[in-house]
Amino acid sequence: MAAPIRVLTAVPICDGHDSAINTINLEFIRHGIEVVYLGYHRYATDMVRAAIQEDVKALGISSYNGGHVEFFSEVARLLKKQGADYIKLFGGGGGTITGNDEAIMRRNGTDKIFFAGTSLGDMVDYVHQHYSGPHKPFRGRKPSAEMQLARKLTEIEDRYAKGKKGKRPTPAKKIRNPKSEIRNTKVFGFTGPGGAGKTTLIDEIVLRLLHREPKTRIAILSHDPSVVGAGALLGDRATMINSQNERVFMRSMATRGQAGGLSPATEDCLTLLAESGFDYVIIETVGTGQEAMPFQTGLVHKTVLVMNPDYGSRLQLQKIVMLDLADIVVVNKSDQERARTAISEIGRRLDQNKGSQILVSTVANRHRDAGVDKLCDLLTEDG
Amino acid sequence: MSKLGQVVEAVENYNEFVLKEVKRARTDKVFGQQMVDRWNDVKAKTPIGTAPTGLKLPRLALPEIDEAGEITRYLLGEGLPGEFPFTGGAYREMYLEPLGEQAAGSSGKDGKNGKNGHTRNGKNVARVAASKPVEVEEPTRLFSGLGLAEDTNERFHFLTGHQRSARLSTAFDGPTLYGIDSDAGGVFGKIGEGGLAIDTYEDMVRLYDGFDMGSPAFSASMTISGPAPIIMAMYIAAAKKRFGSRVVPNLRGTIQADIFKEVQAQNETIFPTEASLRFLCDMIEWTTREMPRWYPVSISGYHIGEAGATPVQQAAYTVSNGFAYAEMLAARGIPVDQFGPRLSFFLDCGLDVEYIALARVSRRIWAIGMRDVFGAGPKGQMFKLHTQTSGRSLVAAEFKNNLTRTAAELMLAYMNGTNSCHSNSADEPFTTPSEEWIRLAAHGQAILLDESGIFKHTMNMLSGSPGMKAVERAVEVAMLEEFRQIESFGGVLPAIEHRYQRSQIQNAAHRYEEQIYDGTRPIIALTKYNDLKDEMPEVKMVRTPRAKKQLQVDRLAIFKKKNAEKSKRALDKLAEVVESGKNCFPTLIEAVEVCSLGQITGRLQEIVGHFRPMV
Repeated sequence: MAAPIRVLTAVPICDGHDSAINTINLEFIRHGIEVVYLGYHRYATDMVRAAIQEDVKALGISSYNGGHVEFFSEVARLLKKQGADYIKLFGGGGGTITGNDEAIMRRNGTDKIFFAGTSLGDMVDYVHQHYSGPHKPFRGRKPSAEMQLARKLTEIEDRYAKGKKGKRPTPAKKIRNPKSEIRNTKVFGFTGPGGAGKTTLIDEIVLRLLHREPKTRIAILSHDPSVVGAGALLGDRATMINSQNERVFMRSMATRGQAGGLSPATEDCLTLLAESGFDYVIIETVGTGQEAMPFQTGLVHKTVLVMNPDYGSRLQLQKIVMLDLADIVVVNKSDQERARTAISEIGRRLDQNKGSQILVSTVANRHRDAGVDKLCDLLTEDG
Repeated sequence: MSKLGQVVEAVENYNEFVLKEVKRARTDKVFGQQMVDRWNDVKAKTPIGTAPTGLKLPRLALPEIDEAGEITRYLLGEGLPGEFPFTGGAYREMYLEPLGEQAAGSSGKDGKNGKNGHTRNGKNVARVAASKPVEVEEPTRLFSGLGLAEDTNERFHFLTGHQRSARLSTAFDGPTLYGIDSDAGGVFGKIGEGGLAIDTYEDMVRLYDGFDMGSPAFSASMTISGPAPIIMAMYIAAAKKRFGSRVVPNLRGTIQADIFKEVQAQNETIFPTEASLRFLCDMIEWTTREMPRWYPVSISGYHIGEAGATPVQQAAYTVSNGFAYAEMLAARGIPVDQFGPRLSFFLDCGLDVEYIALARVSRRIWAIGMRDVFGAGPKGQMFKLHTQTSGRSLVAAEFKNNLTRTAAELMLAYMNGTNSCHSNSADEPFTTPSEEWIRLAAHGQAILLDESGIFKHTMNMLSGSPGMKAVERAVEVAMLEEFRQIESFGGVLPAIEHRYQRSQIQNAAHRYEEQIYDGTRPIIALTKYNDLKDEMPEVKMVRTPRAKKQLQVDRLAIFKKKNAEKSKRALDKLAEVVESGKNCFPTLIEAVEVCSLGQITGRLQEIVGHFRPMV
């Protein structure tokens, strides 16, 4: 089977009109396309960085607030400047984009504008016809280390998609800043049920790491489920506002039919990232149930289980295997009423294990939360 | 149970109460006679007006009923316009032509032709009318904003030059809506597009130049939510600069400031929800005390509707958001009769059948909830409404059809007794309206209200029909069901955190698009009668030239340079007050005199963080 088409979609800076793009995203994923969604109110630089890291075939922009000629042209210019114009630029803006505008935008590097009245089906067809097929090798200028790493990740994913057994990839060129103080890459694995706040928590950890260590470089491997027999909406970037940073390499992966919260290609991809010279590599599973440990031992230095205080009865707790295996258990949303009970129940459960597991309570969506500070300390301290 | 759950109970209790009273009127002779007497009294006191053709009409049309039970059902269940539960309208006479104008020529004839007490009343009315100001404000309020402050100022003068009153409605550009300065990297192309650029309170001075901001015939509406407290502070600072401190209590207008709908649908919010709500409540607390004629929040369904919600979702989320604000303000200890009358609403009006009665049902639910759950007096029970015709219903293909779409929506909006109204321009699928099309949009309202006799002579001209009643009942049931869903999360805020409203809106939007292309929703000239050759129409595009954008950036640089030292101190003071938890609005009014919008947003975000978008 051919690998699904991956595209990135986004809405420009100072524009919150996401109704059209949400509808288009839904239609795309129903027709087998994997959509990395960056969200609304996004800078051109963030879009271009994300498109390169995600190694998408095309970048789609939905603009309704005016200034589209300038914005599309800026994105096209940045793609070209970085030698990444193998990523095709498309978009629309209902009736706000005129025929004259389109002519200028196309001249400046936009591949396709969908005018007002284009049906969803026509858009899906266009993407299938023009953005499918294998990636072409880089042409011309030497590709950046980030581009090469992104492409290697694509190759691993595609190999699994074609049903071929993974061959251990050769490490990409190290892109670590040589001046970095940290010698060894630390790998953290985050898992837990859907809605517990894993994505927000990781983004808050990233914010702190970037602040504390002015040269640190971080990679994030994030997972979202594939729709059965179809595409996937990879939406973590939209939530991870602090991770859209030039010192962060982020890659979104669809599970592509594998249960357990990860993709068939995850292990190889993680190995590659761990060997690519980042100070920290953070991996996030999709929302998991009561399965066993999703991470292979040895690959991840610290595993974090993020819990929602609303897990149900104590009996449910006994069934969560990860509670025995995680190094750190986080009760997030600890400002909720139910949290006090949750903390004491989970605490007792961890005591039974008699291990060195640590329980932390956080409110990830609270700015400057002390619990998240503590979690960050625990992750970065040696041992 | 949150207050919303109590509202559901209150509406159900009220409906039961009405049924019981209907029964009582039929069984209890004395009570039944009281209701009949009241009914006859209302009818007797209803003035008679005369249409230009000479036709006589009562100024309030009432159903032809004379049985005590039915009279009770009408008076309690629907109520007279301007009376609880306000189904027909927040006020008694809404758009009726002031009687003075017609009474002069017709009262004598009334005297001769009148029967059953009308003679006496014709005279009474003439007296009443004489004691009442004849010059009421027009409900027309057109949303505008383009380029820089001076360009929008010019548009304001163009729009209101022929009106008795200046009712302005201000649209801001993207950077302003997101609290960003025009000199920020990557936003140059957005300056003055889709609205006007405001960076400093000096821009605000330019924006309303030539208007008497303290006059009772002037009111300004500002459509902005994320940075609303900062923009409100700039408005106050600009008014003080031009007219002195004494103008502040006289300021009239509305600022949208609706954080809930931003998080649910429109996405123009800049601080985490909790912090945004705190800044908002600081502003409401201050303005409801110091500016008693200002509406500091316009609880808006328009953007919820435009983002794809069904009409019932739109109304249910909007009204429930209103109750959530009321709950927060009451919890702060602000008296309900201080804030209640200062809450106003804003709904979308499209072409779906629900719009026949959407605002009528919303008004009724709001009145019952505010009276029975929050203990508000009559002014706090009134659901005061601005309506905008649906932008989403406008189509680029053969766009002149949009005139008809907007006209039909206007008709629905006025049938619903909206207090003010914006009619969209036909060219809006393409551009900020050009003068040609915005003029036609304004004329559309005048044709309905001034030229036609539909709304001039009689209240209840169309309400009470079996069809409208049927829609009302179905919409009320559906809205209460939505309230129960929201309540099942624990109220509006917890439902927002669970993405309930967002996901419902997104699903509805997707279904709407599917229905367009599967033929369920024919769109004329797009999916039906679309035989004309597909050509891009010649539309005059309103865009902001580069030189103007640069002018805005340059002006901002001068302001920042001039206030470099003072702004630092002002921001430090603001930060201190925000950290202390005290009401920060008074400090904000001082800060805007020396700080730009972006400087203040940036400093506040350092303290409270950024909004994390919900997908």
